[in-house]
Amino acid sequence: MIEFVSRISVVCFAASYAVALVCEGSRLLFRSGVRGAAMVGFAGAGLVAHTLFLVWRAANEPAVPLSSAFDWYLLASWVLAGGYLWLTIANPRTPVGLFLLPVVLGLIGAAEVSSRSPFPQSPATQIWGAIHGSFNLAASVAVAIGALAGVLWLIQAARLGRKQPPLRSFRLPSLERLAHTTERTLAIAAWTAAAGFLSGMVLNAVNRQRGLLETVPWNDPVVLRMAGLVAWLVTAAVVVRVMGRRADGPRIAAWLSLVSFGVLTASILWGLFGTTRHGVPPVRDMSETSEAALPRAWPTPAAAARPASAAAPEATP
Amino acid sequence: MTLAFVGGTHRTVPLALRERLAFSAEQAAEALGRFRERFPGREGVLLSTCNRVEFYAAGGRADVPPPPPEQLVSFLAECRGIDADLLTPVLAGDRGEGVARHLFSVAAGLDSMVLGEPQIVAQVKQAWSLAQESRTSGPLTGEMFQAALRTAKRVATETAIGRERLSIPSVAVADFASGVFERFDDKRVLLIGAGKMAAETLRYLRVAGARDVVIVNRTAGRADELATRLGARAGRFEDLSAELAAADLVVSTTGATEPVVSPELFGRAESRRGGRPLVVLDLAVPRDFDPRIGTRPGVWLYSVDDLAAACDANRKSRQREMPAAVMIIDEETQRFMGDLHHRSTAPVIERLRAGWSETGEMELDRLFRRLPTLDDAARAEIRQAFDRYAAKLLHPPLASLRSESRAGPPHGLLDALQRLFDLKD
Repeated sequence: MIEFVSRISVVCFAASYAVALVCEGSRLLFRSGVRGAAMVGFAGAGLVAHTLFLVWRAANEPAVPLSSAFDWYLLASWVLAGGYLWLTIANPRTPVGLFLLPVVLGLIGAAEVSSRSPFPQSPATQIWGAIHGSFNLAASVAVAIGALAGVLWLIQAARLGRKQPPLRSFRLPSLERLAHTTERTLAIAAWTAAAGFLSGMVLNAVNRQRGLLETVPWNDPVVLRMAGLVAWLVTAAVVVRVMGRRADGPRIAAWLSLVSFGVLTASILWGLFGTTRHGVPPVRDMSETSEAALPRAWPTPAAAARPASAAAPEATP
Repeated sequence: MTLAFVGGTHRTVPLALRERLAFSAEQAAEALGRFRERFPGREGVLLSTCNRVEFYAAGGRADVPPPPPEQLVSFLAECRGIDADLLTPVLAGDRGEGVARHLFSVAAGLDSMVLGEPQIVAQVKQAWSLAQESRTSGPLTGEMFQAALRTAKRVATETAIGRERLSIPSVAVADFASGVFERFDDKRVLLIGAGKMAAETLRYLRVAGARDVVIVNRTAGRADELATRLGARAGRFEDLSAELAAADLVVSTTGATEPVVSPELFGRAESRRGGRPLVVLDLAVPRDFDPRIGTRPGVWLYSVDDLAAACDANRKSRQREMPAAVMIIDEETQRFMGDLHHRSTAPVIERLRAGWSETGEMELDRLFRRLPTLDDAARAEIRQAFDRYAAKLLHPPLASLRSESRAGPPHGLLDALQRLFDLKD
């Protein structure tokens, strides 16, 4: 069993999700009596493999699952994959996977190009790091779910506006439910992103005090993009709240949720391919540092095998 | 042939004659009682709905065939006091496999006025229950009706023939209003006018959970009357603007020749709505709502033509499912007829088994007399060996009989078996 679990790779569950996505796409082409079972089967198998992979890493790598960019992305995709499975079982005729699974696969792809090396931590910063990572994770998941609700709202509204009956295998939730979800998730995303940013500031201060990580300056790309994301999400949440009493409020909310997802995606890409001092150990001559004073860093064999440019931990969004 | 049927539907029997031919539950029970007396040893089931009257009959044993369709026509005419000559040209009849195929199509809703409508399944079930209570149902009709219900279930689950809605009120509520609102129990429904279509639409809305219903009509008395009947509240027509401001869903069915709700009137209501979405089902011809209202944000306006187009699309969608449904009917008919034909071989198989068993027993007796020293265990072992040997020898002819039964009654094979093994009745 242990040998089996140790052999699970990212490709295993990514492939399962990809097959589930193909099944979702086939809804638009033909009817099938076994497709629903196949979708749930593949997504379920993927989620089990995904879970085992994370558990294996938690058992064999210290300080996971939020301690490296790689684990952060995988955890975010795991939450969304679980959400997809739950929504598909609860609403089998709603094609949520068409919109959610690409995000899941995108996050897995982002994980693949991120560093697997954990951020250097001490017990003090571990807590703040976990809070920072968890809030950012919650904000990202909320933005993704809000975007899903927003795009479904626009599709449903277009169908109702064209006065067409719903497609048999493409049933969408009501506008009321979708608008409610969009508004809620935007508010949650704004609050959690702001909390993530503030906890990041605290973490930065602790790091500076203890010299665990290099202090992230205010003009660091990660700080700027996170500040931009928070500002955008808060603005969007306020606009949606204010517009809620207007007849076109739900439409505006749907568009804002989509733009929020775009901003989040841009932020992630910037984090993946940009340069930053976020999560980077202090530059010092390691030979002069005593063993006790060193921050705990646990590079994985995979990270160690990477080229030097990729070994530096990337920032979480 | 052990099955027979006669019947007429909305397609073949004029309404006036169909009304005279229709059976109430009591009349159907009485007719079945009369059938039992007139045709002893036969089975019969009477299916009478607003669109069809059909009588299914089956023979008892092989030598008791069911009454032929001509006799069934006379029987129905006699039961309803109609001249048989009036019925003969409009009623269709069939025997054998066609009877099962027809019943399966009826149960699956393929022969209904509204293709794929599900109510017919319950009516078929009721007809069979009534026959059971009247003691005219038997093993043959029992199996046939069970197979019909199984077929209906397969068609309903394996095809989408009954899934799309076809009536304007049902499409309006299920495909459009439900697309906007998640629930209706917290919504205000406003009926403008007291037309029949409004009451029908309200029925679907009630099923969906609507509770708060207001009816306004130019004639206040008519609104009061309908409100009492439908468990709603009557409003004043003069307060239409205020009612529009409070409503979430409007069903309008007045007979007015000019739009009842102009953009100006709606504009006054809109400013007090607080941005809530409004679904308007304008089922009146000419329309009650000015079409320009439908361009306002948050307003989802559907006219009769919009809904009729959706119904038509759904109807075409059902038609596309027909080949798949017919395939299921064919499969189930073949399966049922195969089983039925196989049943007809039962007496021959029984005699064959009995003959072999008798011969075996005689041989065993002789053997045991010649070997008196055998103990009980040895005797039981020898007996088992004889039984296994007989079963293995019988297997090929029985398998051939089952195989032949799928294509039709295996008369040739049965005859050959009877002659080869000297099987006498």
